[in-house]
Amino acid sequence: MEIKAKLKDGVTTVKAMAKHPMLTYDTAKKQGVEANFITHITATVNDKVVLDMSTSQFLSKNPIFKFSFKGANVGDKIVMTWVDLLGGTETSDAVIK
Amino acid sequence: MERRKFLGFGIVAAAAALVPGTLSAEDYRKTKPAVWTAHTVDDAITKMYGTNVTIEQGVTLTAPDVAANGGAVPVDFSSDIAAKSVAVFQDANPEATVCAFTLNENSIIDFSIKIKMKQSGTLTVIVEGKDGKLYSAKKSLSVALGGCEG
Repeated sequence: MEIKAKLKDGVTTVKAMAKHPMLTYDTAKKQGVEANFITHITATVNDKVVLDMSTSQFLSKNPIFKFSFKGANVGDKIVMTWVDLLGGTETSDAVIK
Repeated sequence: MERRKFLGFGIVAAAAALVPGTLSAEDYRKTKPAVWTAHTVDDAITKMYGTNVTIEQGVTLTAPDVAANGGAVPVDFSSDIAAKSVAVFQDANPEATVCAFTLNENSIIDFSIKIKMKQSGTLTVIVEGKDGKLYSAKKSLSVALGGCEG
């Protein structure tokens, strides 16, 4: 996962991209494979949850998303994890600039 | 304990063990599975919140009037409402629910996501206020090239 986190005026804005095909049930059926897409994404800073997102197959392929939160400092580490339908998972981190 | 119940419990426990990083977070796919299979927006909202009565104010939703590529339609939404959760729905795809966010005291409602839309349709964003009311915003858009193939 690619993560960019920037702090400005007390608000941290994060842009992230998860590499995932996000195969919908329809597409998977046509291709004769099993549907698989990210079902849950979380982000934490200092063990505090800053993003909690349950998702469906309708996020774009390689989904890009942006979110904001308060209460972090420059230099803190943001840790993001996604889990997909078949149990695959990936964790990445970045330092807030 | 009956065997059936015991097995069911085992599956739930195994599923919980598979998701380590969620902490206190709520996974709506597990707590409200019916939301994700609902075919209409009204049905999905009702399954999520128990009602589909919403107040159309306080939420800003931005999306293009015409999306050239239905595979990645940019959707931005924000709100100043003190809220417990935010969810995004649409009526262009086989199922209605796109995603749901659980909020906490550090959250700011200012999200950008990219979604797939199979055809032209209407987006609905619901903000569940701490006062228990549902605030919504809607936006209809045309999709030039459907995006459920990607």
